[in-house]
Amino acid sequence: MIVFNLLAGALLLLTGFLSVYLRNAVHAALALAANFVVMGTVYMVLQARFLGWVQIIVYAGAIMVLFVFVIMLLHAAQAEVGFDPLPWMRPAALAVAAVGFLALAWALGAARAPLAAKASAALLKGGTALALGPELWNTWRYPVLLVAALLLVATVAAVALIRPGKEGA
Amino acid sequence: MNTYYLLISAALFALGAYGVLARRSAILVFMSVELMLNAANLALVVFAREQGSPAGQAVALLLIALAAAEVAVGLALVVAIYRTRESTLVDDLAELKG
Repeated sequence: MIVFNLLAGALLLLTGFLSVYLRNAVHAALALAANFVVMGTVYMVLQARFLGWVQIIVYAGAIMVLFVFVIMLLHAAQAEVGFDPLPWMRPAALAVAAVGFLALAWALGAARAPLAAKASAALLKGGTALALGPELWNTWRYPVLLVAALLLVATVAAVALIRPGKEGA
Repeated sequence: MNTYYLLISAALFALGAYGVLARRSAILVFMSVELMLNAANLALVVFAREQGSPAGQAVALLLIALAAAEVAVGLALVVAIYRTRESTLVDDLAELKG
């Protein structure tokens, strides 16, 4: 278990770093897809099995395929294109990221009251669909309906935005 | 183990924030936003594991659906802008600068 945790953590950080570092957008997208797959396995280890599979199917599958498709469609594989109008942006972004990480790590020092690992695992029941379904459809039923409506609106909006013959040019 | 994964979540969030600020192609900025959303999801799942409450997992599931909607609209916007500008660079979209 310890070996898995160390390996998963290292892979998450490595693929996350590569996805913001690699110059070629297709390579960055593939690194991000690998990050999502590893994240799915981590979810399964953390007693969220249904969520782990949803992560792999929706994120690593559907969303990343959409990204790669758009990158190919627009020939946008190259991240760097000549003149940089904001040369100080990179160090500034690095500073913001470092401060953000330190703030988040500092916030972890706040008082948390974790249950014993065994007790919380018994409550979560592995996080299967059977365990998560009642929670979703009782406590979270209105948010679920709202998100469903939002997904429909987003689909219609996406189709309307790229409707051909609307450029007006 | 929980604190370990929370630290990794914080690090991934910081990496995503760096990507959002430093990347110059709109598609890569979007990918960094996805990295940040995933880091938040990881934190939610860890908190659910810690408290033995499935509420964190339920919210994480809703967040995945929201991220899918965001990607659909965002990439449609990128494609629509590319059609008129022949470019996906965020620096080229500076009409609203004050």
